[in-house]
Amino acid sequence: MKKKLICMLLTAAAAASLTACGGDGSNDSPSASDSSNAAAEQTSSNGAADASAEDSSEGGYKLDKIVMVVDGTLTASVDNGQAELEKQWEEAVGVDLEIQQLDHSGYIDAVGRLFASGDYPDVMIMPADMFAQYLPTGLLWDMTEAYDNADFQKRMLLPEINEALKVKGGGRLYGFAPTYGNGCVTYVKKAWLDALDINADDIKTYDDYYNMLLRFHNEDPDGNGVNGDTYGVVAAGFVGNEAPYINYLPEFWQDAYPGILQGEDGVWYDGFQTEETRAALLRLQQAYAEGAIDPETLTASTKIAREKWFSNDQTGSSGVFTYWAGRWYQTLTDSFVKNDVDAELVQLPPIQEVGAYINREAPVWVIIDDGDGDNSREQAIFDAFFETMMDGDVVQTLWTYGAEDVHWSIHAEEFSTNADDPDKRKDYSYEEGVFHLRPSINDPNSMWTKNLFDPNLVVCELTNGYGDPSELMAAGNKFFAENSKDAPMSPVSETYTNESGTLYDAKLAVITEVVIKGGDVDAAMQTYVSTVGGTIDQCLSELNGQ
Amino acid sequence: MRKRKDIITSTGVTVHQKPLKLRIWNNRGYYLMFLPVFIFVIIMNYWPMLGVRYAFYDYKPVGEPSWVGLAHFTKMFSTTAFWVAFRNTLELSIMRLLISTFASVVVSVFLNEMGNLMAKKVLQTIIYLPHFMSWAVVASIFSLLLSPSSTGMVNGWLKDLGILARDQAGIYFLADTKLWRPIFYIINTWKETGWGTIIFLATLSGINPELYEAADIDGASRMQKIRYVTLPALNNTIITVLILNLAKVMNMFEPIFVLYNNAVYSVSDVIATYIYRQTFAIALPNYGYSTATGLFRSLVGGALVLICNQISKKTRGRGII
Repeated sequence: MKKKLICMLLTAAAAASLTACGGDGSNDSPSASDSSNAAAEQTSSNGAADASAEDSSEGGYKLDKIVMVVDGTLTASVDNGQAELEKQWEEAVGVDLEIQQLDHSGYIDAVGRLFASGDYPDVMIMPADMFAQYLPTGLLWDMTEAYDNADFQKRMLLPEINEALKVKGGGRLYGFAPTYGNGCVTYVKKAWLDALDINADDIKTYDDYYNMLLRFHNEDPDGNGVNGDTYGVVAAGFVGNEAPYINYLPEFWQDAYPGILQGEDGVWYDGFQTEETRAALLRLQQAYAEGAIDPETLTASTKIAREKWFSNDQTGSSGVFTYWAGRWYQTLTDSFVKNDVDAELVQLPPIQEVGAYINREAPVWVIIDDGDGDNSREQAIFDAFFETMMDGDVVQTLWTYGAEDVHWSIHAEEFSTNADDPDKRKDYSYEEGVFHLRPSINDPNSMWTKNLFDPNLVVCELTNGYGDPSELMAAGNKFFAENSKDAPMSPVSETYTNESGTLYDAKLAVITEVVIKGGDVDAAMQTYVSTVGGTIDQCLSELNGQ
Repeated sequence: MRKRKDIITSTGVTVHQKPLKLRIWNNRGYYLMFLPVFIFVIIMNYWPMLGVRYAFYDYKPVGEPSWVGLAHFTKMFSTTAFWVAFRNTLELSIMRLLISTFASVVVSVFLNEMGNLMAKKVLQTIIYLPHFMSWAVVASIFSLLLSPSSTGMVNGWLKDLGILARDQAGIYFLADTKLWRPIFYIINTWKETGWGTIIFLATLSGINPELYEAADIDGASRMQKIRYVTLPALNNTIITVLILNLAKVMNMFEPIFVLYNNAVYSVSDVIATYIYRQTFAIALPNYGYSTATGLFRSLVGGALVLICNQISKKTRGRGII
C-alpha cells in the first residue's frame, strides 16, 4: 500500500511539473517571456522609466532613473568611489542612476541569469562576442537614428568604429562603442635583454623572437646563477575563449585565426581548419617542448600569468608577456616597482610574420528595448546616458577619470605615495587649476589611472583639456595605434550561439593534443572535424545564407 | 459504516486504530510544530523541481521558452563529450568512494589501537584539518606543489633525487591523462580521510571490551583481534557509509572543477562540469539543455539510491530508506 501511495505521489508530482508547461505561455514562464514584454514589465516595475513620468514639455519622455549594468571595466568600483561617481553623474544629468557592477570574469553568465530572472537594465555594456550573440534576439534597441543625429557627432574623432558596428547589424546600429577596442602588445623585460646582451631592435622576425625566448630559458637572465629556471614567454592559455582568441601569443599564431571568420570574398569559413592554424600549432608545440613557453600557460588565468611575470621572485618567471596596451603599460610598470623588480619594459614592435597587433572589436553599450513600439523611452535613455557620455566635458570626464576631488582634482594639493618607504616614496604637488589624478582609494600607494574609458581610446575627444597625465599610458596607446589592425568580425549565427561552448572545447582538445602531448596535428584535426565538423558546417551554412 | 483498522502492537495486543482525522486532531500540537518545516520543504525543495519541465523546452535568457520535446535528450545522447563525462562521473566517484572508505577504515583502526592518548588526539586533529580547507585552497596548494615550472616543489625533489635530469622539463602532473586520476585520488584521500574516520571511530568505541578480553584469554594476537573482533564490528558501518555515499556519486563537482583543465577532460570531465561549461561558458546559454542533462543526472542518482537500498536489504536485512 505504501509503495502504491509513493508511486502515485511521484507520478502526480511529475505530471504536475509537466502540465505546468501546458498553460498559457504568458503565465507559466514570466521569467523568460517575450524579451520585449519582459523588459517593459521590468522597467515599469522598477520605476526606471515610469510611464506616469511622461513629460510632454518637449514631446519626449522624462526619465526618473537609469539602471546600468557594467563589468569590471568600470574601475570606480563600490570600494573605489562609485557612490561619489553616481552622485556627481546624477547632479550633472538630473536623472537617478543605479549602477549594477557584476563580476568581471563571470559577466556573461551573470547577465544571462539577470535576463532569465526578468531583471532587465536600461543600459549595459557588452563585449563584442556577447553583442554578436544578442544581436538577433530583438532585445537591443535600434539606435541608428539617435546615433546619427547625436550632438556628439560634432566632436567625433573615430566614426569608423561605430560604422563598422552598423555593418554587423545589417546597416543598423544596436550598440554604441564609446572607445575603440584596444588590444595586446608584446612587452619584454629590459633588464633581461640587457643581461643577455640582446638588442630589442634586432628582434624583427619569428626566428629572432624565438631565439630570444630560448635564450631567456636556457641562460640566466634573472642573474640568480642558475640556467634553465626561467622561461621565454608566459600567457593565460594558448588560445583565448573570446575574440580575437590569439592576442596573448600573436607571434606563434601569426596569420592564423582559430575562429569562424569572413574571407575577402565575403564567404565565411572556419579559420581553425586552415594550414595557417596547423603551422601555428606546430610552432606552439616546438616552443612548449623546448621550454620557450612557460608550461603553466596551459592552466594560468590572466591574473596568475600577470603576477608570475612581475613576481618579486623572478625564478620561474618569463622575459616576455603579451598584454593589453595603453593603461596596462603603466599598471605593469607600477607592479614591477611595487615588487622591487627592475621596472623598465620594452614594447616590442610586431615581428614581420605578425605584421600588426590585433585591435579587438570594441565593447559596446546597448539600450534594452522595451518592445512597446514607442521609442520615446529609449530615445530619452540615449539622450541622458549616451549623449552625456560623450559630452566632451563634465560627464565624459566622470566616465573617463571618475569623480571630481575623489579620483581627480584641479585644486592645489600635495600628497605622497609609499610615504613610509624612502626608496619608493614619491611626492606630488599641484597648483590650483592644474588637472591631476589622485591616489587610488583602495590602494593609496598607487595613482589612479582611469575610470571607464581610456582617454586615448575614446571616439569623441574631451574638450576641457583634461588630457592623459600618464606618459607611459599615452606612449602605450600611441604605440598600439601605430602597430595594430582591426580584428575580424565576430559571426552572428544561431547555431554558433548555441554551440560555441562545444566548439571551444573541441578546439582546446586539438590544441592540448598537439601542443602539450606532442600529438600529430593532422590526426588531431581529423578528430576535430569528426567531432564538430557538422556543427561548423551548419554555422557556415547559416552565415553564408545557404 | 467504515471498517476500523486493527493493528497489532509489539507486545501482541490487538488494538483498534482510530480514524485519521481523529488521530490528527489528537496530535494537533505535533502537526502544528511540523507545519513550518513541511511548508519550508515544499517551497524550498519541491517547488523548484517544477523547473525540470524546461528540459523539454528551448529556454534562453532572452525570448519565449519553446517546446522541443525530447530534442535535448537526443542531442545529449548523441554527444561524445556527454558520454565521456558520464563515464568519468561514475568511475571517479566510485573509485574515490572506495579509496577514501578504505583509507578511513585503516586509519580508524590504527587510531583505535594507539595506546598514547595524547598522540592519538594530536594525530586526529592533524588529519581532520584538511577537511576544513576549501577545495579552491587545496587546489591552489597542490597546483603550486605539482607545478611543472622550475618553482614546482615535487619536480624539484625529483630533480634533486636524480629521477629527472636537471635540464629535463618538469612533469605536468595535473595535465597528464595518466597521472591526473591518481593525483586526484591522493589529494582527495589526504583531504577527506580524517573526516571519514569519525563515524568509524564512534563505532569502534562502542565495541564491547569483553570481546577483546575474551580474545586475550584465547591468546589472540593484536592482528588477530583486529581481524576477528574489530573489523567484523565495523562491517555494518562500512556498508552503511558506502551505501549512503554511493547515492551521491553523481553530484561530484567542486573537487573536479578546481583541479581539472582542458588537457585532461577525457579523464576528468564529469557531468556537473560538463553542464557548467555548457551553461556558463557561452553568452546565450540554452538552459533547456543544461536542465535536460541535470535531469538525467538526477534520474541516474535516484536509480542508484534505489539500487543501494536493495543491496542494503539483501546484505543487512533492512533498507536505508
